[in-house]
Amino acid sequence: MGVKRSRTAMEGQPSSDAAAAQRQSPLMPMFEHFRAELDEHHDRRERIIKASRDITAASKKIIFTLQRIRHLNQDLPAHAVKGNQPYHTTIATQLASVSADLQGLNAYRYSRQISGGCQEWMEAVSFQHYIETATLLSYADARTQIKALDREGPGVELSAEDYVLGIYDMTGELMRFAITGMAMGGSLPTIPASSPQSQPQAQPTDSDTSLMDIDNDQPAPSPTTQRSLLTDMRALRSALESLDARGGPFAKEADKKADVMRTSVEKVEKALYGLIVRGAERPKGWNPDAEFAGGRAVEVEA
Amino acid sequence: MADAMIQTGIFEDLQRKIDEDSAVKDALRDIVQTLEKQDRTTQSILSRSHSTPSSDLHTVVSAAQANIDKEIQTIQQLSEVASQHPYYKFNYSWTRTVQDACYSILLCGWLGGFAKGETGQLLTIEDVGSTMKVPVNLKDRDAFHLTIEEYLLALISLLDELARLARNSVTLGDYRRPLQIAQFIKDVHAGFQILNLKNDTLRKRSDGIKYRVKEVEDVVYDLSLRGLLPKD
Repeated sequence: MGVKRSRTAMEGQPSSDAAAAQRQSPLMPMFEHFRAELDEHHDRRERIIKASRDITAASKKIIFTLQRIRHLNQDLPAHAVKGNQPYHTTIATQLASVSADLQGLNAYRYSRQISGGCQEWMEAVSFQHYIETATLLSYADARTQIKALDREGPGVELSAEDYVLGIYDMTGELMRFAITGMAMGGSLPTIPASSPQSQPQAQPTDSDTSLMDIDNDQPAPSPTTQRSLLTDMRALRSALESLDARGGPFAKEADKKADVMRTSVEKVEKALYGLIVRGAERPKGWNPDAEFAGGRAVEVEA
Repeated sequence: MADAMIQTGIFEDLQRKIDEDSAVKDALRDIVQTLEKQDRTTQSILSRSHSTPSSDLHTVVSAAQANIDKEIQTIQQLSEVASQHPYYKFNYSWTRTVQDACYSILLCGWLGGFAKGETGQLLTIEDVGSTMKVPVNLKDRDAFHLTIEEYLLALISLLDELARLARNSVTLGDYRRPLQIAQFIKDVHAGFQILNLKNDTLRKRSDGIKYRVKEVEDVVYDLSLRGLLPKD
């Protein structure tokens, strides 16, 4: 920058320009220290991002396997357990590789970097937990689980935010599971009650689940009181909607995911409507999901 | 096997957690807003340096320093509340304001404040930390502190301001200060060049330093063309 002009500019100065260029900035030692600190920070950050990506990829694969299962409230079939084993190992290895980087001060420093992986993992384990037990995996249990994955290390902390965001994503998997169930089996997957006359649902709060109610969740002496994937999705929707995120970056993300979740619930409702209205005419192998791919062909409020 | 999908308590617990965090955020916001207000006052005092001859600069500096003392009290309060929680969980709520306060301290120090006596001195991150009475670049424990990034961003703000001061010094008839500023900015620029910055805020803002170098060099050039540079 402007060598020529500064040569003239500096004339009369005790130091010539050449000497000035040679002269080391007195601030160098300070900046060398900063460089070392920042490099350490960036390296750690990148390690965590990489691990997070690998955890995300492995979790997605676990979900693919789970989507091929057709029964609810049962142990996973052996092939699914065996098939997913390597992915679980990957996740445990990746978590262990960064758990030391995510302790103390650094737990929150890099929470944004690990968050993607944690959410995807949450989606996978809560989906698997639902398939096996037809219940929602609690935050406390999920926290214990992810900690336990790092057997020899200090473990990775799961934030409440990542738990909630993972659950939001899990509703999308429930939707896919329900639609596939309807397409393949011709009916919405249901959950048999463990005791007769038991009331399904413990809906914690009032909420607008009334939207497009097809009387499934009304207690009436009919097969429609049967607890199903849809009634569970509605319960989950209601619970998530009653959660007040209280502003901040979390609220922003939660809002976005809430929209997707509502769409998921409605997709299942529309598919179920289609199944009930046109069920008899339905050609074999017809997939209700295709109905929505090309736009909102089905009008429910007819 | 549970008959309901959602065990009672799950979402109630989550809501409680969110509410607790939200209360912390509110408490922090109040303190940060106080600090913001105080820093605005400091900034308005410091901006008088652009129209104050060097001989009277000490009045500006001591007025600014008196106000910075108030900021430090607020920072103490912030530190106390913030240290009860994970530092990085809430630091987004104060980092900008702490950066501004750090910049005020750096500028005041450069102008001769904090017992530096003479202009052109850079307070180190440790100097700023001890002025603020907070630790810096903490690594071994989770408490309130000044980060390297905050310090460096404040340092860039200082350069922006000094580039402006170089021109205004000339207007005030001070032809020596632009040389001092030019050297200072070059020294800092050289320092930033050895950092391996990622594509983040620090990188974007430090990219602007070279324009400040040029701006001040232009001032020095103008002075030298007209033979206005001091001859000693």
